[in-house]
Amino acid sequence: MTRRSLRDNPKRELWLAWGATVFFYNLYAVVFFLFTHIQPPGQPWYSPDQASTWFTEHHHGLGIGLALIFVFGGLSATSIALITYSIRRMSVSRAFSYSYLIIYSVSAVPGFLFICVALTAGIMRPERSPQLQHWLYQLGFLSFSGTMGVFLIGSLIWMCAILLDGNRVFPKWFGYLNLCNALTEVVVSPSWIFKTGVFPWNGLIAWWIDVVIFGIYTGVFITLLRSMIIREDFGTGPLPAVPAWRFWQSPVETAP
Amino acid sequence: MTVAEVSTPPCRTRQVPGQPDMWFFVLFESLIFTSYFCVYLYYRAQHEAAYLAAQSQLTLWLGVVETIVLLTSSWSIARCVEQSRNGRYDVARRDAFLTAGFGVIFLILKVVEWVRQIHLGNTFSSGDFFQYYFFLTAIHLVHLLIGFVVVGVAIHQLSSPRRRSQELVETCATYWHTVDFLWVLIFALLYVVR
Amino acid sequence: MRRLNRRLLAVWAVLSAITVIYIWIDHSADHHGTAHASSAVTVIALLLAAVKVRIIMREFMEVRNAPILLCRLTDAWIAGMSAAMIGFYLAGRAVAT
Repeated sequence: MTRRSLRDNPKRELWLAWGATVFFYNLYAVVFFLFTHIQPPGQPWYSPDQASTWFTEHHHGLGIGLALIFVFGGLSATSIALITYSIRRMSVSRAFSYSYLIIYSVSAVPGFLFICVALTAGIMRPERSPQLQHWLYQLGFLSFSGTMGVFLIGSLIWMCAILLDGNRVFPKWFGYLNLCNALTEVVVSPSWIFKTGVFPWNGLIAWWIDVVIFGIYTGVFITLLRSMIIREDFGTGPLPAVPAWRFWQSPVETAP
Repeated sequence: MTVAEVSTPPCRTRQVPGQPDMWFFVLFESLIFTSYFCVYLYYRAQHEAAYLAAQSQLTLWLGVVETIVLLTSSWSIARCVEQSRNGRYDVARRDAFLTAGFGVIFLILKVVEWVRQIHLGNTFSSGDFFQYYFFLTAIHLVHLLIGFVVVGVAIHQLSSPRRRSQELVETCATYWHTVDFLWVLIFALLYVVR
Repeated sequence: MRRLNRRLLAVWAVLSAITVIYIWIDHSADHHGTAHASSAVTVIALLLAAVKVRIIMREFMEVRNAPILLCRLTDAWIAGMSAAMIGFYLAGRAVAT
Protein backbone atom coordinates (compact mmCIF):
# COMPACT_ATOMS: atom_id res chain seq x y z
CA MET A 1 0.00 0.00 0.00
CA THR A 2 1.38 3.38 -0.93
CA ARG A 3 0.46 6.53 0.88
CA ARG A 4 -0.28 9.32 -1.56
CA SER A 5 0.90 12.80 -0.74
CA LEU A 6 -1.45 15.72 -1.20
CA ARG A 7 0.54 16.68 -4.31
CA ASP A 8 -0.45 13.49 -6.15
CA ASN A 9 -3.94 13.25 -4.72
CA PRO A 10 -6.51 13.45 -7.53
CA LYS A 11 -8.97 14.93 -5.07
CA ARG A 12 -6.56 17.73 -4.18
CA GLU A 13 -8.60 20.47 -5.82
CA LEU A 14 -11.82 19.21 -4.28
CA TRP A 15 -10.29 19.28 -0.81
CA LEU A 16 -8.90 22.77 -1.41
CA ALA A 17 -12.33 23.97 -2.45
CA TRP A 18 -13.92 22.32 0.59
CA GLY A 19 -11.32 23.85 2.89
CA ALA A 20 -11.97 27.27 1.36
CA THR A 21 -15.71 26.76 1.90
CA VAL A 22 -15.18 25.97 5.58
CA PHE A 23 -12.87 28.98 5.94
CA PHE A 24 -15.37 31.27 4.20
CA TYR A 25 -18.35 30.27 6.36
CA ASN A 26 -16.32 30.62 9.53
CA LEU A 27 -15.08 34.03 8.41
CA TYR A 28 -18.65 35.05 7.53
CA ALA A 29 -19.90 33.99 10.97
CA VAL A 30 -17.07 35.71 12.86
CA VAL A 31 -17.26 38.92 10.81
CA PHE A 32 -21.03 39.27 10.63
CA PHE A 33 -21.81 38.18 14.18
CA LEU A 34 -18.81 39.28 16.23
CA PHE A 35 -16.84 42.00 14.41
CA THR A 36 -19.46 44.04 12.68
CA HIS A 37 -22.64 43.13 14.62
CA ILE A 38 -24.51 43.07 11.33
CA GLN A 39 -26.11 39.93 12.67
CA PRO A 40 -28.35 40.02 14.65
CA PRO A 41 -29.45 42.98 12.51
CA GLY A 42 -29.92 46.51 13.78
CA GLN A 43 -33.39 47.69 14.73
CA PRO A 44 -35.69 48.28 11.73
CA TRP A 45 -37.57 51.10 13.45
CA TYR A 46 -34.54 53.37 13.88
CA SER A 47 -35.00 57.00 12.95
CA PRO A 48 -32.42 58.70 10.69
CA ASP A 49 -30.52 60.00 13.74
CA GLN A 50 -30.49 56.58 15.38
CA ALA A 51 -29.27 54.97 12.14
CA SER A 52 -26.45 57.54 11.97
CA THR A 53 -25.52 56.76 15.55
CA TRP A 54 -25.52 53.03 14.74
CA PHE A 55 -22.95 53.63 12.01
CA THR A 56 -20.81 55.71 14.39
CA GLU A 57 -20.98 53.11 17.15
CA HIS A 58 -20.05 50.26 14.82
CA HIS A 59 -17.51 52.22 12.80
CA HIS A 60 -14.37 50.24 13.54
CA GLY A 61 -16.00 46.82 13.62
CA LEU A 62 -17.70 47.45 10.28
CA GLY A 63 -14.53 48.88 8.77
CA ILE A 64 -12.25 45.98 9.66
CA GLY A 65 -14.84 43.25 9.25
CA LEU A 66 -16.15 44.36 5.89
CA ALA A 67 -12.60 44.92 4.63
CA LEU A 68 -11.93 41.26 5.40
CA ILE A 69 -15.11 40.30 3.58
CA PHE A 70 -14.12 42.32 0.52
CA VAL A 71 -10.75 40.54 0.46
CA PHE A 72 -11.92 36.99 1.19
CA GLY A 73 -15.58 37.12 0.19
CA GLY A 74 -14.80 35.69 -3.23
CA LEU A 75 -14.16 32.37 -1.49
CA SER A 76 -17.93 31.98 -1.33
CA ALA A 77 -17.55 30.93 -4.96
CA THR A 78 -15.87 27.69 -3.83
CA SER A 79 -19.02 26.68 -1.97
CA ILE A 80 -21.16 27.30 -5.05
CA ALA A 81 -18.62 25.54 -7.27
CA LEU A 82 -18.45 22.47 -5.06
CA ILE A 83 -22.24 22.16 -4.91
CA THR A 84 -22.39 22.60 -8.69
CA TYR A 85 -19.78 19.85 -8.97
CA SER A 86 -21.90 17.61 -6.76
CA ILE A 87 -24.95 18.17 -8.98
CA ARG A 88 -22.87 17.38 -12.07
CA ARG A 89 -21.81 14.11 -10.44
CA MET A 90 -25.49 13.17 -10.18
CA SER A 91 -27.34 11.20 -12.84
CA VAL A 92 -29.61 14.17 -13.62
CA SER A 93 -29.25 16.54 -16.55
CA ARG A 94 -26.42 19.07 -16.42
CA ALA A 95 -29.06 21.77 -16.76
CA PHE A 96 -29.59 21.44 -13.00
CA SER A 97 -25.95 22.19 -12.19
CA TYR A 98 -25.73 25.12 -14.62
CA SER A 99 -29.00 26.60 -13.31
CA TYR A 100 -27.81 26.29 -9.73
CA LEU A 101 -24.45 27.85 -10.57
CA ILE A 102 -26.02 30.85 -12.30
CA ILE A 103 -28.70 31.45 -9.69
CA TYR A 104 -26.41 31.27 -6.68
CA SER A 105 -23.72 33.36 -8.36
CA VAL A 106 -26.33 36.03 -9.04
CA SER A 107 -27.78 35.74 -5.54
CA ALA A 108 -24.43 36.68 -3.97
CA VAL A 109 -24.93 40.23 -5.25
CA PRO A 110 -28.16 41.23 -3.51
CA GLY A 111 -27.92 38.67 -0.75
CA PHE A 112 -24.36 39.33 0.35
CA LEU A 113 -22.48 42.13 -1.42
CA PHE A 114 -25.17 44.80 -1.28
CA ILE A 115 -25.15 44.97 2.51
CA CYS A 116 -21.34 45.07 2.59
CA VAL A 117 -21.22 47.94 0.09
CA ALA A 118 -24.10 49.87 1.66
CA LEU A 119 -22.78 49.64 5.22
CA THR A 120 -19.19 50.44 4.16
CA ALA A 121 -20.48 53.52 2.34
CA GLY A 122 -22.34 54.40 5.52
CA ILE A 123 -19.26 54.43 7.74
CA MET A 124 -16.90 56.04 5.23
CA ARG A 125 -18.68 59.43 5.06
CA PRO A 126 -20.05 60.03 8.57
CA GLU A 127 -20.64 63.70 7.72
CA ARG A 128 -23.47 62.67 5.36
CA SER A 129 -27.00 63.72 6.27
CA PRO A 130 -28.83 61.35 8.65
CA GLN A 131 -31.50 60.81 5.98
CA LEU A 132 -28.90 59.42 3.57
CA GLN A 133 -27.32 57.31 6.31
CA HIS A 134 -30.79 55.98 7.15
CA TRP A 135 -31.30 55.10 3.48
CA LEU A 136 -28.02 53.17 3.35
CA TYR A 137 -28.91 51.42 6.62
CA GLN A 138 -32.29 50.28 5.28
CA LEU A 139 -30.90 49.40 1.85
CA GLY A 140 -28.29 47.19 3.45
CA PHE A 141 -30.56 45.24 5.77
CA LEU A 142 -33.55 45.01 3.44
CA SER A 143 -31.43 43.74 0.56
CA PHE A 144 -29.83 41.15 2.84
CA SER A 145 -33.11 39.78 4.23
CA GLY A 146 -35.59 40.53 1.53
CA THR A 147 -33.98 39.08 -1.59
CA MET A 148 -34.36 35.46 -0.72
CA GLY A 149 -36.24 34.56 -3.88
CA VAL A 150 -33.07 33.55 -5.71
CA PHE A 151 -31.90 31.41 -2.79
CA LEU A 152 -35.35 29.83 -2.71
CA ILE A 153 -35.19 28.79 -6.36
CA GLY A 154 -31.59 27.64 -5.96
CA SER A 155 -32.51 25.42 -3.01
CA LEU A 156 -35.41 23.94 -4.97
CA ILE A 157 -33.12 23.20 -7.93
CA TRP A 158 -30.70 21.35 -5.65
CA MET A 159 -33.62 19.56 -3.97
CA CYS A 160 -35.05 18.34 -7.30
CA ALA A 161 -31.63 17.19 -8.45
CA ILE A 162 -31.07 15.21 -5.24
CA LEU A 163 -34.51 13.58 -5.32
CA LEU A 164 -34.14 12.59 -8.98
CA ASP A 165 -30.52 11.48 -8.64
CA GLY A 166 -29.73 7.80 -9.09
CA ASN A 167 -26.04 8.12 -8.17
CA ARG A 168 -26.66 8.48 -4.43
CA VAL A 169 -24.49 11.58 -4.21
CA PHE A 170 -26.56 12.88 -1.30
CA PRO A 171 -29.10 11.11 0.90
CA LYS A 172 -32.74 11.85 0.10
CA TRP A 173 -33.34 13.36 3.53
CA PHE A 174 -30.96 16.13 2.58
CA GLY A 175 -33.11 16.80 -0.48
CA TYR A 176 -36.04 17.31 1.87
CA LEU A 177 -33.90 19.51 4.14
CA ASN A 178 -33.40 21.73 1.08
CA LEU A 179 -37.18 22.13 1.02
CA CYS A 180 -37.17 23.19 4.68
CA ASN A 181 -34.43 25.73 3.88
CA ALA A 182 -36.30 26.96 0.81
CA LEU A 183 -39.42 27.56 2.89
CA THR A 184 -37.46 29.74 5.33
CA GLU A 185 -36.73 32.01 2.36
CA VAL A 186 -40.49 32.50 2.04
CA VAL A 187 -40.90 33.13 5.77
CA VAL A 188 -38.41 36.02 5.74
CA SER A 189 -40.30 37.99 3.06
CA PRO A 190 -42.63 39.87 5.49
CA SER A 191 -39.50 41.75 6.63
CA TRP A 192 -40.28 44.23 3.82
CA ILE A 193 -43.49 45.22 5.59
CA PHE A 194 -42.87 45.15 9.32
CA LYS A 195 -40.62 47.19 11.59
CA THR A 196 -41.73 45.65 14.88
CA GLY A 197 -43.04 42.31 16.07
CA VAL A 198 -41.85 38.88 14.94
CA PHE A 199 -41.60 39.57 11.19
CA PRO A 200 -39.15 42.47 10.71
CA TRP A 201 -35.63 41.78 9.49
CA ASN A 202 -34.53 41.05 13.08
CA GLY A 203 -37.77 39.40 14.20
CA LEU A 204 -38.12 36.18 16.16
CA ILE A 205 -39.71 34.31 13.25
CA ALA A 206 -38.19 36.13 10.25
CA TRP A 207 -34.63 36.12 11.61
CA TRP A 208 -33.90 34.07 14.75
CA ILE A 209 -35.74 30.87 13.83
CA ASP A 210 -34.64 31.20 10.20
CA VAL A 211 -30.98 31.60 11.18
CA VAL A 212 -31.13 28.45 13.32
CA ILE A 213 -32.51 26.47 10.35
CA PHE A 214 -29.96 28.03 7.99
CA GLY A 215 -27.13 27.24 10.42
CA ILE A 216 -28.21 23.59 10.65
CA TYR A 217 -28.59 23.42 6.85
CA THR A 218 -25.13 24.91 6.23
CA GLY A 219 -23.45 22.62 8.75
CA VAL A 220 -25.17 19.62 7.20
CA PHE A 221 -24.27 20.41 3.59
CA ILE A 222 -20.64 21.15 4.42
CA THR A 223 -20.49 17.74 6.15
CA LEU A 224 -22.21 15.98 3.25
CA LEU A 225 -19.87 17.63 0.73
CA ARG A 226 -16.97 16.16 2.70
CA SER A 227 -18.62 12.76 2.56
CA MET A 228 -19.09 13.15 -1.19
CA ILE A 229 -15.43 13.97 -1.74
CA ILE A 230 -14.34 10.95 0.33
CA ARG A 231 -16.63 8.70 -1.75
CA GLU A 232 -15.82 10.28 -5.12
CA ASP A 233 -14.55 7.75 -7.64
CA PHE A 234 -14.52 10.11 -10.67
CA GLY A 235 -16.92 7.82 -12.50
CA THR A 236 -20.44 8.45 -13.72
CA GLY A 237 -22.26 5.75 -11.80
CA PRO A 238 -23.52 5.57 -8.24
CA LEU A 239 -21.06 6.69 -5.61
CA PRO A 240 -19.89 3.91 -3.32
CA ALA A 241 -21.09 3.90 0.25
CA VAL A 242 -18.36 4.53 2.79
CA PRO A 243 -18.07 3.02 6.27
CA ALA A 244 -18.65 5.57 9.03
CA TRP A 245 -15.11 5.35 10.40
CA ARG A 246 -13.68 6.60 7.10
CA PHE A 247 -15.64 9.80 7.52
CA TRP A 248 -12.95 11.06 9.86
CA GLN A 249 -10.22 10.33 7.34
CA SER A 250 -7.81 13.12 6.46
CA PRO A 251 -7.56 14.30 2.85
CA VAL A 252 -4.45 12.15 2.39
CA GLU A 253 -5.68 8.92 0.86
CA THR A 254 -4.36 5.45 1.05
CA ALA A 255 -4.42 3.51 -2.18
CA PRO A 256 -3.91 -0.20 -2.75
CA MET B 1 -46.45 -26.41 12.91
CA THR B 2 -46.12 -25.79 16.60
CA VAL B 3 -49.04 -24.85 18.84
CA ALA B 4 -47.72 -21.28 19.00
CA GLU B 5 -47.68 -20.96 15.21
CA VAL B 6 -51.25 -22.24 14.93
CA SER B 7 -52.67 -20.00 17.65
CA THR B 8 -50.97 -16.69 16.77
CA PRO B 9 -52.06 -15.13 13.49
CA PRO B 10 -49.24 -14.05 11.15
CA CYS B 11 -48.45 -10.41 11.78
CA ARG B 12 -47.31 -8.01 9.10
CA THR B 13 -43.60 -7.28 9.14
CA ARG B 14 -43.06 -3.86 10.66
CA GLN B 15 -41.84 -1.53 7.95
CA VAL B 16 -41.31 2.20 7.85
CA PRO B 17 -44.13 3.64 5.71
CA GLY B 18 -42.46 5.16 2.67
CA GLN B 19 -38.90 6.48 2.67
CA PRO B 20 -37.42 7.00 6.14
CA ASP B 21 -36.01 10.21 4.65
CA MET B 22 -39.51 11.65 4.33
CA TRP B 23 -40.08 10.94 8.02
CA PHE B 24 -37.00 13.04 8.76
CA PHE B 25 -38.67 15.87 6.84
CA VAL B 26 -41.99 15.34 8.64
CA LEU B 27 -40.39 15.52 12.08
CA PHE B 28 -38.05 18.43 11.24
CA GLU B 29 -40.83 20.48 9.62
CA SER B 30 -43.09 19.77 12.62
CA LEU B 31 -40.37 21.21 14.85
CA ILE B 32 -40.21 24.36 12.74
CA PHE B 33 -43.98 24.78 12.81
CA THR B 34 -44.02 24.12 16.56
CA SER B 35 -41.56 26.99 17.01
CA TYR B 36 -43.98 29.28 15.10
CA PHE B 37 -46.90 28.00 17.20
CA CYS B 38 -44.99 28.60 20.44
CA VAL B 39 -44.15 32.19 19.41
CA TYR B 40 -47.82 32.80 18.55
CA LEU B 41 -49.10 31.35 21.83
CA TYR B 42 -46.48 33.20 23.91
CA TYR B 43 -47.43 36.59 22.47
CA ARG B 44 -51.13 35.79 22.36
CA ALA B 45 -51.16 35.03 26.08
CA GLN B 46 -49.79 38.53 26.74
CA HIS B 47 -52.42 40.38 24.71
CA GLU B 48 -55.48 38.23 25.17
CA ALA B 49 -58.13 40.90 24.76
CA ALA B 50 -56.80 42.19 21.44
CA TYR B 51 -56.34 38.69 20.04
CA LEU B 52 -59.84 37.65 21.17
CA ALA B 53 -61.43 40.66 19.55
CA ALA B 54 -59.67 39.94 16.26
CA GLN B 55 -60.30 36.18 16.47
CA SER B 56 -64.05 36.74 16.82
CA GLN B 57 -64.06 37.88 13.20
CA LEU B 58 -63.11 34.40 12.03
CA THR B 59 -65.83 31.99 10.99
CA LEU B 60 -65.46 28.84 13.05
CA TRP B 61 -67.75 26.65 10.93
CA LEU B 62 -65.69 27.49 7.85
CA GLY B 63 -62.59 26.32 9.70
CA VAL B 64 -64.40 23.12 10.71
CA VAL B 65 -65.44 22.45 7.10
CA GLU B 66 -61.88 23.07 5.90
CA THR B 67 -60.53 20.67 8.52
CA ILE B 68 -63.00 17.95 7.56
CA VAL B 69 -62.21 18.45 3.86
CA LEU B 70 -58.51 17.95 4.56
CA LEU B 71 -59.18 14.96 6.83
CA THR B 72 -61.19 13.44 3.99
CA SER B 73 -58.29 14.01 1.61
CA SER B 74 -56.04 12.18 4.09
CA TRP B 75 -58.54 9.35 4.18
CA SER B 76 -58.57 9.07 0.40
CA ILE B 77 -54.79 8.99 0.09
CA ALA B 78 -54.58 6.40 2.87
CA ARG B 79 -57.01 4.28 0.84
CA CYS B 80 -54.90 4.94 -2.25
CA VAL B 81 -51.84 3.48 -0.51
CA GLU B 82 -53.78 0.40 0.54
CA GLN B 83 -55.29 -0.14 -2.92
CA SER B 84 -51.86 0.22 -4.48
CA ARG B 85 -50.42 -2.28 -2.00
CA ASN B 86 -53.05 -4.78 -3.11
CA GLY B 87 -52.30 -4.24 -6.78
CA ARG B 88 -55.50 -2.33 -7.57
CA TYR B 89 -53.69 0.50 -9.31
CA ASP B 90 -56.64 2.01 -11.19
CA VAL B 91 -58.64 2.38 -7.99
CA ALA B 92 -55.55 3.78 -6.28
CA ARG B 93 -55.16 6.37 -9.05
CA ARG B 94 -58.77 7.36 -8.63
CA ASP B 95 -58.23 7.81 -4.90
CA ALA B 96 -55.16 9.94 -5.56
CA PHE B 97 -57.15 12.17 -7.90
CA LEU B 98 -59.84 12.37 -5.21
CA THR B 99 -57.17 13.53 -2.74
CA ALA B 100 -56.09 16.29 -5.11
CA GLY B 101 -59.75 17.21 -5.57
CA PHE B 102 -60.29 17.63 -1.85
CA GLY B 103 -57.09 19.65 -1.74
CA VAL B 104 -58.51 21.97 -4.40
CA ILE B 105 -61.72 22.37 -2.36
CA PHE B 106 -59.64 23.33 0.66
CA LEU B 107 -57.68 25.81 -1.46
CA ILE B 108 -60.89 27.43 -2.73
CA LEU B 109 -62.38 27.65 0.78
CA LYS B 110 -59.16 29.18 2.07
CA VAL B 111 -59.07 31.82 -0.66
CA VAL B 112 -62.77 32.60 -0.09
CA GLU B 113 -62.03 33.02 3.61
CA TRP B 114 -59.08 35.31 2.95
CA VAL B 115 -61.09 37.48 0.56
CA ARG B 116 -63.84 37.71 3.18
CA GLN B 117 -61.38 38.78 5.88
CA ILE B 118 -59.78 41.35 3.59
CA HIS B 119 -63.23 42.79 2.85
CA LEU B 120 -63.79 43.05 6.58
CA GLY B 121 -60.63 45.13 6.72
CA ASN B 122 -58.36 42.46 8.21
CA THR B 123 -55.07 42.22 6.36
CA PHE B 124 -51.59 40.90 7.08
CA SER B 125 -50.59 44.19 8.69
CA SER B 126 -53.84 45.10 10.45
CA GLY B 127 -52.91 43.72 13.85
CA ASP B 128 -51.01 41.00 15.68
CA PHE B 129 -53.63 38.28 15.47
CA PHE B 130 -54.17 38.66 11.72
CA GLN B 131 -50.40 38.77 11.18
CA TYR B 132 -50.25 35.27 12.61
CA TYR B 133 -53.47 34.20 10.89
CA PHE B 134 -52.30 35.15 7.39
CA PHE B 135 -48.76 33.93 8.05
CA LEU B 136 -49.74 30.48 9.34
CA THR B 137 -52.47 29.90 6.77
CA ALA B 138 -50.24 31.14 3.94
CA ILE B 139 -47.22 29.01 4.86
CA HIS B 140 -49.57 26.06 5.25
CA LEU B 141 -51.06 26.78 1.84
CA VAL B 142 -47.56 26.76 0.32
CA HIS B 143 -47.16 23.26 1.77
CA LEU B 144 -50.53 22.31 0.27
CA LEU B 145 -49.46 23.55 -3.17
CA ILE B 146 -46.29 21.46 -2.88
CA GLY B 147 -48.64 18.63 -1.87
CA PHE B 148 -50.33 18.85 -5.28
CA VAL B 149 -46.96 18.23 -6.92
CA VAL B 150 -46.36 15.33 -4.55
CA VAL B 151 -49.76 13.75 -5.30
CA GLY B 152 -48.93 14.27 -8.97
CA VAL B 153 -45.78 12.21 -8.45
CA ALA B 154 -47.88 9.46 -6.85
CA ILE B 155 -50.33 9.49 -9.77
CA HIS B 156 -47.40 9.39 -12.19
CA GLN B 157 -46.02 6.37 -10.37
CA LEU B 158 -49.36 4.57 -10.36
CA SER B 159 -50.02 5.28 -14.04
CA SER B 160 -47.37 3.02 -15.48
CA PRO B 161 -46.45 -0.59 -14.62
CA ARG B 162 -42.79 0.23 -15.28
CA ARG B 163 -42.65 2.98 -12.72
CA ARG B 164 -44.75 1.71 -9.86
CA SER B 165 -42.93 2.03 -6.57
CA GLN B 166 -44.99 1.31 -3.48
CA GLU B 167 -42.34 3.05 -1.38
CA LEU B 168 -42.69 6.25 -3.40
CA VAL B 169 -46.50 6.18 -3.22
CA GLU B 170 -46.27 5.75 0.57
CA THR B 171 -43.72 8.57 0.73
CA CYS B 172 -46.08 10.90 -1.13
CA ALA B 173 -48.92 9.91 1.19
CA THR B 174 -46.74 10.62 4.24
CA TYR B 175 -46.13 14.15 2.95
CA TRP B 176 -49.84 14.73 2.34
CA HIS B 177 -50.76 13.53 5.84
CA THR B 178 -48.24 16.03 7.21
CA VAL B 179 -50.07 18.85 5.44
CA ASP B 180 -53.25 17.54 7.06
CA PHE B 181 -51.99 17.26 10.63
CA LEU B 182 -50.28 20.65 10.45
CA TRP B 183 -53.67 22.12 9.53
CA VAL B 184 -55.28 20.30 12.47
CA LEU B 185 -52.88 22.15 14.77
CA ILE B 186 -53.24 25.50 12.98
CA PHE B 187 -57.04 25.24 13.09
CA ALA B 188 -57.00 24.67 16.85
CA LEU B 189 -54.57 27.56 17.37
CA LEU B 190 -56.30 30.16 15.24
CA TYR B 191 -59.99 29.30 15.57
CA VAL B 192 -60.47 27.70 18.97
CA VAL B 193 -57.69 28.65 21.38
CA ARG B 194 -58.77 31.34 23.82
CA MET C 1 -58.79 -5.27 2.73
CA ARG C 2 -62.45 -4.52 3.40
CA ARG C 3 -61.65 -4.54 7.12
CA LEU C 4 -58.96 -1.95 6.54
CA ASN C 5 -61.28 0.20 4.46
CA ARG C 6 -63.84 0.09 7.30
CA ARG C 7 -61.09 0.92 9.77
CA LEU C 8 -59.99 3.95 7.71
CA LEU C 9 -63.59 5.14 7.49
CA ALA C 10 -64.03 4.74 11.24
CA VAL C 11 -60.85 6.73 11.83
CA TRP C 12 -62.14 9.48 9.53
CA ALA C 13 -65.43 9.53 11.45
CA VAL C 14 -63.67 9.82 14.82
CA LEU C 15 -61.42 12.63 13.58
CA SER C 16 -64.37 14.51 12.09
CA ALA C 17 -66.35 14.07 15.30
CA ILE C 18 -63.50 15.53 17.38
CA THR C 19 -63.38 18.44 14.92
CA VAL C 20 -67.09 19.09 15.42
CA ILE C 21 -66.61 18.94 19.22
CA TYR C 22 -64.52 22.08 18.80
CA ILE C 23 -67.72 23.97 17.91
CA TRP C 24 -69.24 22.95 21.24
CA ILE C 25 -66.04 23.95 23.07
CA ASP C 26 -66.05 27.27 21.25
CA HIS C 27 -69.66 28.02 22.24
CA SER C 28 -69.24 26.93 25.82
CA ALA C 29 -66.13 29.11 26.18
CA ASP C 30 -68.13 32.26 25.52
CA HIS C 31 -70.21 33.84 28.25
CA HIS C 32 -73.42 35.25 26.80
CA GLY C 33 -71.89 35.58 23.39
CA THR C 34 -68.75 37.46 24.41
CA ALA C 35 -65.41 35.78 24.11
CA HIS C 36 -63.27 35.29 27.18
CA ALA C 37 -59.71 34.20 27.51
CA SER C 38 -59.42 30.81 29.12
CA SER C 39 -56.36 28.72 29.67
CA ALA C 40 -58.60 25.67 30.24
CA VAL C 41 -60.11 26.01 26.76
CA THR C 42 -56.68 26.59 25.24
CA VAL C 43 -55.11 23.57 26.88
CA ILE C 44 -58.08 21.33 26.01
CA ALA C 45 -58.04 22.57 22.40
CA LEU C 46 -54.33 21.85 22.12
CA LEU C 47 -54.62 18.41 23.73
CA LEU C 48 -57.50 17.47 21.44
CA ALA C 49 -55.40 18.59 18.47
CA ALA C 50 -52.54 16.43 19.74
CA VAL C 51 -54.90 13.45 20.01
CA LYS C 52 -56.03 14.02 16.42
CA VAL C 53 -52.44 14.28 15.22
CA ARG C 54 -51.60 11.00 16.97
CA ILE C 55 -54.59 9.27 15.38
CA ILE C 56 -53.58 10.61 11.95
CA MET C 57 -50.04 9.38 12.47
CA ARG C 58 -50.94 5.95 13.83
CA GLU C 59 -53.81 5.16 11.47
CA PHE C 60 -53.48 7.18 8.27
CA MET C 61 -49.68 7.33 8.25
CA GLU C 62 -49.50 3.65 9.31
CA VAL C 63 -47.15 4.23 12.23
CA ARG C 64 -49.18 1.46 13.92
CA ASN C 65 -47.44 -1.05 11.63
CA ALA C 66 -44.08 0.68 11.68
CA PRO C 67 -40.98 -0.32 13.63
CA ILE C 68 -41.27 0.37 17.35
CA LEU C 69 -38.63 3.11 17.11
CA LEU C 70 -40.84 5.18 14.80
CA CYS C 71 -43.86 4.59 17.07
CA ARG C 72 -41.93 5.84 20.10
CA LEU C 73 -40.35 8.70 18.15
CA THR C 74 -43.66 10.04 16.82
CA ASP C 75 -45.28 9.71 20.24
CA ALA C 76 -42.36 11.59 21.78
CA TRP C 77 -42.63 14.25 19.07
CA ILE C 78 -46.34 14.79 19.73
CA ALA C 79 -45.79 14.89 23.47
CA GLY C 80 -42.91 17.33 23.04
CA MET C 81 -44.84 19.59 20.67
CA SER C 82 -47.86 19.70 22.99
CA ALA C 83 -45.72 20.34 26.05
CA ALA C 84 -43.84 23.14 24.26
CA MET C 85 -47.02 24.85 23.04
CA ILE C 86 -48.79 24.62 26.39
CA GLY C 87 -45.60 25.65 28.16
CA PHE C 88 -45.09 28.77 26.06
CA TYR C 89 -48.75 29.70 26.41
CA LEU C 90 -48.60 29.44 30.19
CA ALA C 91 -45.25 31.26 30.25
CA GLY C 92 -46.79 34.07 28.21
CA ARG C 93 -49.65 34.30 30.68
CA ALA C 94 -47.23 34.40 33.58
CA VAL C 95 -45.21 37.20 31.93
CA ALA C 96 -48.38 39.18 31.24
CA THR C 97 -49.47 39.29 34.90
